[in-house]
Formats: sequence, C-alpha cells, structure tokens
Amino acid sequence: MKIAVLMKDVPDLVEELEVEDGALPLDDMSFVPSEWDDQALEEALLMKEEADVEVTAVAIDTGDVDNMLFTALAKGADRAVKLVGDFSRTLPNRLRARLFAQYCQAQAIDVVLTGVQAIDDLDGQIAGLVAGLTGRAHASVVRDVHIEGSQVTCVQEYSGGKMAEMQLAVPAVLGIQAARKPPRYVTIAKVRQIQKSATLEEVEAEAGTAPLVTVRRIYKPEAAGHAEMWGDDVDAVAESIVRLLEDKKLLRS
Amino acid sequence: MGQVLIVAECQDGRLSDATQELIGRGRELAQATGGTVTLAAFGEGARDALRDADADVAVVVNGDGVQQYNPEVYEEALAAMVEDRQPALVLLSNTTMGMDLGASLAARQARPMVAYCTALWRDDDALLATSQIYGGKLAADVEVPDGAVVTVIPGSWPAAGSSGSPRIEEMPSPAAAHTRVLKVMEAESGGDVDITRADILVSVGRGLQDPDNLELADQLAEALGGVVSCSRPVVDAGWLPRSRQVGKSGKTVKPKLYFALGISGAPEHLQGMKDAELIVAVNSDENAPIFEVAHYGATVDILDLMPALTERLEGRAG
Amino acid sequence: MLRTLLMALTVAMVVAAGALFARRVAAIVGVMRTARPTLRTDRVGERIQSVVEHVLLHRRMFRITLSGVLHYFIFSGFVVLLIDIVETVGEVFVPGFTVGRILAPLVDIWVILVAIGILLALYNRLIIRPARFQGSDEKDAFLILGLIGAIIVGIVIHDSFFPFVAREVLHVPDPVAHAHFLGWGLSRLWVALGWTGPGAASVGYAFGYLLDMGVVLAFLAYLPYSKHLHIFAAVPNIFIRNLGPKGALLAKPVEESMAIRTFQDLSWKDISDLYTCTECGRCQAVCPAHAAGQPLSPKMVILELRDALNERIARGTAFSAEEPPLAGGVISKEELWACTTCGACQEACPVFIEHVPKIAGMRAALLEEGDIDPNAQKVLVAWDRQGNSFGQPARKRPVWAKNIDVPIKDARKEPVDWLWFVGDFAALDPRVQRLTQLIARLLHHAGVDFGILYESEANAGNEALRIGEYGLFEALALKNIEALNKAQYRRIFTTDPHSLNALKNEYRKFGFEAEVLHYTEAFLELIDQGQLSVSSVPVRATYHDPCYLGRWNGIVEAPRQLMQRLGVDLVEMPRHGAQSFCCGAGGGRIWMDETGITDRPANQRIREAMRLSNVHFFVVACPKDVSMFNASVTAMGVEEEMRVVDMAELLAVAVGLESAEETLLVSS
Ligand SMILES: Cc1cc2nc3c(=O)[nH]c(=O)nc-3n(C[C@H](O)[C@H](O)[C@H](O)COP(=O)(O)OP(=O)(O)OC[C@H]3O[C@@H](n4cnc5c(N)ncnc54)[C@H](O)[C@@H]3O)c2cc1C
Ligand code: SF4
Ligand code: SF4
Repeated sequence: MKIAVLMKDVPDLVEELEVEDGALPLDDMSFVPSEWDDQALEEALLMKEEADVEVTAVAIDTGDVDNMLFTALAKGADRAVKLVGDFSRTLPNRLRARLFAQYCQAQAIDVVLTGVQAIDDLDGQIAGLVAGLTGRAHASVVRDVHIEGSQVTCVQEYSGGKMAEMQLAVPAVLGIQAARKPPRYVTIAKVRQIQKSATLEEVEAEAGTAPLVTVRRIYKPEAAGHAEMWGDDVDAVAESIVRLLEDKKLLRS
Repeated sequence: MGQVLIVAECQDGRLSDATQELIGRGRELAQATGGTVTLAAFGEGARDALRDADADVAVVVNGDGVQQYNPEVYEEALAAMVEDRQPALVLLSNTTMGMDLGASLAARQARPMVAYCTALWRDDDALLATSQIYGGKLAADVEVPDGAVVTVIPGSWPAAGSSGSPRIEEMPSPAAAHTRVLKVMEAESGGDVDITRADILVSVGRGLQDPDNLELADQLAEALGGVVSCSRPVVDAGWLPRSRQVGKSGKTVKPKLYFALGISGAPEHLQGMKDAELIVAVNSDENAPIFEVAHYGATVDILDLMPALTERLEGRAG
Repeated sequence: MLRTLLMALTVAMVVAAGALFARRVAAIVGVMRTARPTLRTDRVGERIQSVVEHVLLHRRMFRITLSGVLHYFIFSGFVVLLIDIVETVGEVFVPGFTVGRILAPLVDIWVILVAIGILLALYNRLIIRPARFQGSDEKDAFLILGLIGAIIVGIVIHDSFFPFVAREVLHVPDPVAHAHFLGWGLSRLWVALGWTGPGAASVGYAFGYLLDMGVVLAFLAYLPYSKHLHIFAAVPNIFIRNLGPKGALLAKPVEESMAIRTFQDLSWKDISDLYTCTECGRCQAVCPAHAAGQPLSPKMVILELRDALNERIARGTAFSAEEPPLAGGVISKEELWACTTCGACQEACPVFIEHVPKIAGMRAALLEEGDIDPNAQKVLVAWDRQGNSFGQPARKRPVWAKNIDVPIKDARKEPVDWLWFVGDFAALDPRVQRLTQLIARLLHHAGVDFGILYESEANAGNEALRIGEYGLFEALALKNIEALNKAQYRRIFTTDPHSLNALKNEYRKFGFEAEVLHYTEAFLELIDQGQLSVSSVPVRATYHDPCYLGRWNGIVEAPRQLMQRLGVDLVEMPRHGAQSFCCGAGGGRIWMDETGITDRPANQRIREAMRLSNVHFFVVACPKDVSMFNASVTAMGVEEEMRVVDMAELLAVAVGLESAEETLLVSS
C-alpha cells in the first residue's frame, strides 16, 4: 500500500512577524515544517510499523524544502519527492493542491495524509482541496489511522470531545489532527548522514490554474500586551467574566 | 447578490450558535442586494430546529446516513445542491464539518474559497472577508469573488436575533459508497483527566493557600464544564497529582479558556499555557507577570471570587 | 616428604589458579582490544604521580574516615602479604631461606592491622550499614573478608609450627622464630600441648601453609570473577584515568556517532572501569538523582554493565548485535535520563571510574532512536532553530541590553577588552535578565571596556552534548566559534558556568583556545587590581558551588575570595567546593519531566543550608541556580527564612549601585 504525506513549510511563528506594505516579506523569514504535517508524517511512520506500507514524503519546491524532506527520510520515510517547477514562496494553496493532486493520481497513491490545517492556508486546507480535486473519499480532523485490508479506519474529532470512528475505502485523503505519539526526534547527525547517502526524487510539475482570491492587505490585529483589567470588586468581576464567556460562547446550555 | 447558501449544523435539536451567526450575516448580505438565504440541513431532527430560522428556503436532506455526520454523504448532497442552485456565496462554520466540506466542495466545484473568516462585509461593490492566519497573529483582508465558499470561525460576530419561516424542501440523501461511520463516542468522563484535551481549564496556584480550598475550584470547574489544573507548587504540596501540572516540567495546554487563579506567572508556568485562546487571570497582586499574557485580569481574592462566580453561573443555568 | 608434598601441591595450585586467572583476564583484555580507542598513556609523569597520590596515599579513600582507615589497613596488608608469600614459599622450596629479622616481625604487625581492618569492616557493614552499599554484592564482600581472615590465621599457624618443623623435619635453623612474635606466642600453646614432634608439627605446619597459600591462590583464581579484581585493576585504572581537561566530555570531535549501543562502543578505559569498580557505593551516596528518589545509581550503572558483559562473555556474545542494547536494555532509559551530569560520582570514585561519558553515550543511543522527553525535545528543536532553549527568536537575545542606561558595545563591530558570553538563561529568563543588567552596570561602573555578540551568540551547546545530541552541539559550537573569531577582544568571560565549560573545555577540539573566565573570577580581579572599590556587605551567607564551575572546572576559590573581599561572613554547607551537591538542573534535566522525583535535589540543598545556624542568604553564581533555588524556596514556602541572592547583587550593594534594603539584603 502506498502512503503519501503531503508537506509544506510555513513561516516560523516564533519569529516576530513583520508586515511591510500590507504584505509579508516572506523572503526574509525563517520557515519550519507545518506542525500538523509533522503530525501526519509521524502517523504515517507509525502505520508503517504495523502494516506493509511505503511512505513517501512529498513537498513542492517553493524554496528550501530539501531539509524538510531529508528529515522525513531520516525519520523513516521510504521515499522523498520534490515537485519541481517555477514556484514561489507565495504559491497559493489552491495551486499547491493541484500539484499534489496530480502527483497522487499519477502515482496511484492509496492513502494521502496531510496536516488538517496550516497557519497560512487562507484559501482552503490542502486535505479537502486534494480530496475535492481527485474525487477521493476523505475526512479531516482525524487521528488514529489504521490500514485494514483495502480500507482505512480513523477517528474523527468533533467539538466537545465527541468522536466517531470511520472507515474509508482507499484511495482516501485524511487531514491529520494529531499523531498517536508526539513526532519523533531525529538527530542532526542522522539528517546529515541521509543528506549524503540519499537523494530526493524530483518530479517536474505544472500548477495550471485554479480559482484564486485576492488579498488586499495583511496586518496585525490590535496587540494584547497587557490584560484588560476589571478592577477589584468581586461581584463586578464575576459579572464581567460571565458576560465575556457568554460572548465567546464558552458557557454550556 | 443572488442566493446565500448556508450549511447548517444542529445540536441538541437546535441550530448551533455558529449556524445562527451565519444566518444573521447571510441575511444582512442578501437583504442589501435583494438576494435570498437558503439553509442546507441534514436529518429528521433538523426540520424542527430550522422551522423559525431567518431563511427563505431550507433544504432538509433525509434518508440513510444523515443521522450521523458522514463526509461523503453530506458532501454529495451539498455538491448537488450547489450545482443545482448556483449560489453566489456558500457559508460554513469552521468546525470539523466545515473543515471537511468547505475545501473539498470548493475544489470540486472549482469555486474560490476563503478560510478562517472572522469578518464578512460589503465594501462598495466588493464582498470582503477578514481571514485569521498565522495562528491569529495576523489578519488578511480578502476579496470574496462571486460564488465563493467561506468558512467562518464560530463566535466571530453575534448570532441572528431575527426569525422567519422558511419554505422546507426535501432532498433524498445520496448513498455512501466509500465512507462508513462505525461508531460514535461521546466525550470521555471520569478516569484520569487529560488536561491537554480540556477546552476549559480552571488553574490554581499557590494563591489557593490551603488544600481545603480546592473544593471551590472543583465547583467552579464543574459549573463551567472545565477541568482543574494547577501550577507546580500545588503539585509539590501534594494537593493535586502531577498529571494536572501546567508548565515547563508539566503539560503544555492550549484550551479555549484558561483561568489562572492565584498564579504569579513564572516563566516556567507561562511556557505551558501562553498559547491558550483566552486567558483570564485573577491575582491579588496587580504586578503579577501573569497579567502580561492574560487577555483579561482582575485583582480580587480568588477565595472570594470562586464561590461568587460559581453561584452566578449556577444561577444562570437554573 | 613434607617438602615434596607441599611443593607438589603448591605447583599444582599455582598452575590451576594461574590458568583460571589468565583465562579470565584474557577474555576481558579481548573485549578491551575491540573497544573504541582513547589516549590514556601520555603524560606518564603525571600519571605516576596520581597513582602515588591515590593508591599509596589513598587520598580520595580518606574522605570517609572509617572506610579509609580500614581499607588502608587491609590494603597495606596485601603489600606485606607479599613478604609472607616469599617467605613461606622460600621456606619450603629453598631449605634455610629466611626474610630476615627485620621484615619478619612486620608481617606480624600487619596481621594485627589487617585483623583490626576486618573487624572495622564488619562493624561498618553489619552495624553502621551505610546506604551506599545498597545494591552492592554484600555476600561477596563477606566472602572476601572471610578469605582474608583465613589467610592471616594461616600465616600465624604456619609460623607457629615452623620452629618445630625446621628443627625436627627440615633440619635447618630458624633465626626468625622469635621475630614472628604472634607465631612464637602461639607456639607456646603447642609446647604445652606437646605438639612439637615431627608428626604433629608437620601436620600443623601443612595446615597453616595450605590455609595461607591455598587461600591466596584460590583468591587469585576467584578475584577476576568478583569485585576484588580491583586489587589488580585499581592501579592501572588510576594510571589510565582521564587527566583532563576534566570538563571535556569528549576529547576529540566525533566522526560517526557518540552513541553507545554495544560493548564495542565503549572505550577500552570504559571496559577497564567496569572491572575496577569496588562496589563501594561512594558514587551512589553523592548522586543527586539517586537522592531524589529516581531509579539512577551510578554504581548500579557500572555493575549492570559489568554483569551484562560477564554474561555475554560466558555466552560468547559480547559483541553480538542480537543481545539487547545497552541503552534502554541493560540500563533503563529512566536511569539514563535521570542523570544531571553533575559529576559528583566521578569526583567521589576512589578508582577514577568515569560514569558521565558512558551515560551521555547511551543517551545518544536513545536519542538516535528518537527516544527523548518531549519537553527536552522541544528545547533541542529550539536550539536548532533559534539558538536558545527558550524558543525565543534569536533577535530577542540581546533585548536585556536595550533598555538600560549603560552602553553595551557590539563586539562584532568594534574591538572590546572583555567579551561577555552571556548564555541563554542570563539573556532570556525574565528573572535573571535583571541580574544580567546589574552585571552590565557593574562593569560600566568599573570602567571595563566590554561588549557582547548580540544575536550572533547562540547557546553554547554544553547541554545538547550531554543530552547526547552531538550534531547539534557541533553546529552550535561552530556557530559561536565563527562569531567569536570575527570579534576582537582580549579575554572572554561568562556569567553561565555551563557556557564556561563548553567554551573552555569542549571548544578546544575545534581549535578554539581563548582564555575564558567566570564573572566571579573577573570581578575578583577587578577588585584586586583596584578598578572596583567595594565596601563591606556584612551578611552571614552560604555559597552554593555550581557543578560546572566548582567540580568540572575547579573554580572554587574565586567566588569565596570574592565574598571575602565583600566582607561576607561565609558559612559553608557540609557539601561544598568540589563536593558540592547538584541543584538538579544539569544535563538537560531542567527541561525534563519530574515524574519519579520524590525529593527535588534543590529542595534538599535548601534544607542543607537551613540547617546552618543563623544563615538566611543563599548565594549563587549561576543563572540556572537563580531559577532553580528561587522555585525551591517558593515551593517550600521559606522565602522569609532563606533568600536566594546572586553574587551580582552582593557586588551591586558593595559598590553602592543598589542599597542593601533594595536588594533585600538586610536580615529581617
Ligand atoms: C526547572 C523548573 C521547572 C519548573 N516547572 C514549572 C512548571 O511546569 N509549572 C509551574 O507552574 N511552575 C514551574 N516551576 C516553578 C516556577 O518557577 C514557580 O515557582 C511557580 O510556577 C510558582 O507557582 P505559583 O504561581 O502557584 O506560586 P507563586 O509564585 O507563589 O504565586 C502565587 C500567586 O498567588 C497570588 N495570591 C496569593 N493569594 C491570593 C489570593 N487569595 N487571591 C488571589 N491571588 C493570590 C500571589 O499574589 C502570587 O502572585 C518550575 C521551576 C523550575 C526551576
Ligand atoms: S553525574 Fe551526577 S546525577 Fe549523573 S550519575 Fe553521576 S552523580 Fe548521579
Ligand atoms: S564506581 Fe567507583 S565510587 Fe562507584 S561503586 Fe564503583 S568504585 Fe565505588
């Protein structure tokens, strides 16, 4: 069975995000693998431990994704594929999804795993987009993925702790919420060693067109900095808290 | 604007608050341009729930496989509806269902999409949406093209106050060929509490002063439907088990609401909770560093506040 | 007849014991030959000197008085035993042989001392029962004491019968009969009993002879299978000890991997360590992880490895990859991750066993399997991405230098006299930043021309290495060295002992050899050169030696002298200097889960300080200690009784930058 993990890197939120002229200076920012994609990779590697599957990490060459792919190999992925073409850091998710979808179809991937979301997917999440483009069965916000014959089972999470166990016929696309275990650590030395001994497979790809949206401006929402203070009157404070929770829909009933 | 199609979600026989919010804004947008509002809902139970919703038409999908959410069945039905009605705007909540269906519907129908919407308004001739990106650190104002699918973060604006009496149309549910729901599990209760999975944490620190006061925290957590967590000294004192400790040497949590009660906000503690969506801190010391990460704060005695708040919450429910 | 019989028996016993001994030693040497190389035969002069100091003079042994004395008695008995063996064998093989009237009575004197030693040892093991023996093979200890007892009894018996055998059977003179005063005394009994004829004397003599020589040779055969191999191994093991620099975990850059999975991944010195361990448990007694209730005992790490190796040698699988891995198999991962790398065990070990490199190597093996505490994993990722353990952007590193009123030079852009390597905690922990600023103001006050590397400084990598992440350590080290090489400075100082250790000891293998000082050393120098004038801060305080300052780098005097210059009345805790007790933070422990800790080492340390009479100030000289001990006094609710004070705060008061009241240095 063939599993593909679709990965992308995103700006490191640890770094302060500076906005210049209503846009992000992406070229000056440091990038890290999207944390949910890391979860998806871990889940795939755990699946590999319990079933006969081949795990391929796939990323689009929008900048420096080599390290991310080598890291996936060092962690235990069987193959790492870089979709190459003329792609920039700002490649919208709609076009990314097209590239991924083409690859998955061409390679007859059975199970596609990817992060349920990423911090920058303004125009749709990769899992749903790829599923829609390929017409595959899909589910997002899932964990606990297992292969059973030509089916995959997983648990989908809903708000309030409710869950459902589902079964999907392959080919299927899953948006991973969390792996069963925290993503494994891989030492720097191991990644370096893989860099020397393994190569990334490069696949030429062309994005084509997709319905896109136009961003007018990007900005920082008003900063928090310090708590808004409610003073020292117990009743007034209790009242404010209840009102806040009502506003935020955090109260039951 | 033509038709606004809203995908409704029901909860305990009512339309969810999030759906009510979509209806409210959908109606405003439609009204401004003489358009209509159509609701798409699933299952027999939905019929009662949307009887007085402020919509023109409500399509109820009925048949096998709609009682419990099944992405395939729901998506097939919605795709047919969209195909059939060609709405100018499709609104979903950014819930599990919205995450599942929004993007796939958009891709399938080759429609543009805007995700994580927190505001939606008309400006001159264009429809605009604010999308919350980068973990809420940035916002983007986006033009919403005609026919777009937009998923909206619940709680972004107030719910509709208005009501109506939509015309109810029936639609038979499509068959599920590939996806089956095997079983549904309700929220786990009892057992060893996992504070990392709780939506609401009532977290207590040394300000609690005495283990007997834990009862106050328990009652408050119960009234809020949350779980009690704590800072390290509370664990050290043996008042709560280590599994409840938040921070560097404990758990990292990201609840929807973090109540920090009598916690000073040492860096080791902050490391474990600073990414909570909403932080409310109560500490008698106005200079406590916890207020630097909290969104709201108050300088009252937690031993007074906890019972007062519990009472208020219970009064509200009863 | 008697001679022939004894000679035949002696030869047979020597051959048998020698064969058993040689077989065992050959097996062990075989393992050592395939183990990793390490250079331990250089600096011969120093090595001989350390053997004299630690074997002949028992320097470390005497740290525990009773054990030191009793061991010294038994130890010297072994030296004198040689005289006895020569004499005894000589008597039988070369008729008329004698060691002379001077050496002979020595044997008897030492028999008495050994007997006292045995009694003390029994008293120690049966009555005092120190906890450090927990887990040691006590049966073996008693067996050995019994054997030694048998030997000295045998000596006295054969000496007591020899005058009669000499006269009646061998027909040789016995000029030393009176000199063996114990034997002579006992022989009076035989005279009284009338056992002086050739028959009785021969039987008595043969019995004593065999008890002596037989047990000696049995001992020889048994030794290499027991902890008493240390009798032979201790001397060479002390000879091949690590002569330093002490603080360098690894002497050379690592090519492949530092991971220890099989016995072949240990160095030959490591193998020698396993067979040298005396099971004395001194290391266990000083281990903070053990004291905290965690499953780690450095002694058990050595013994578990030794026992596993012995089993594998017996099965012929010493190098087999089929056997369970050492890390996570022979030694559990809980044991390995519990270590703070404080080095107290190595410091205490009388035979210079090196526990920390083995533990770090096995950690590296766990890490390569992806097995690491999730919080520590986050820190590794943060070091890799941001260069600090706080997961803060690299740009934030110098924020403390932004809003203070003294100029802080950028050493990357202009030459400075002193380059200050700040370290993660001093730069980024909000509680410590205040102290860091204080140090900047103190330097300014003293007119020191100093600067920092701003965001080009990264974590020094000391802990990454000790977690077992060599690649990350190397990357951090090379990054810092590059920045340091670009800067112009005369000397480096650091506020952080962990950084100090890395810069001073670990960076050498990459060719970086600048002089690195700790801020306590730097300020002492400034005061002594008259650049900083101080007034007295007359408080009564105790001082906690950070492991990476005192133990690993031997910097114990500078902080004390500094306090003396400041007029502080220093009251030492029982464990201080190189014998200080770890706060529990080192080796990456500060970021790891505390499950299993029943009594935090830092709390134990605070209690140790609180037992001193009338001491309310706990002086520290390490940013991590500021966090650790403040958290302890908070958790214990003793902020009023014991105040944690950084050396910088004392200095600030002494030079008048802060008032004593402000810094809360006035006793309440
Ligand atoms: C290596 C290391 C790891 C650590 N890991 C963690 C960790 O994982 N989690 C953690 O929490 N800590 C951790 N700590 C400890 C941390 O440094 C602090 O000591 C601890 O968080 C303080 O807990 P606290 O806020 O409950 O107590 P305090 O700091 O004593 O704060 C109590 C607060 O309660 C307020 N207060 C008192 N009475 C009242 C009242 N009646 N009403 C309202 N407010 C009141 C006070 O003003 C004060 O601000 C760690 C420390 C170290 C060194
Ligand atoms: S280094 Fe310290 S913590 Fe580690 S085993 Fe030795 S004494 Fe114990
Ligand atoms: S390692 Fe050293 S200190 Fe520890 S038991 Fe063995 S000989 Fe004693």
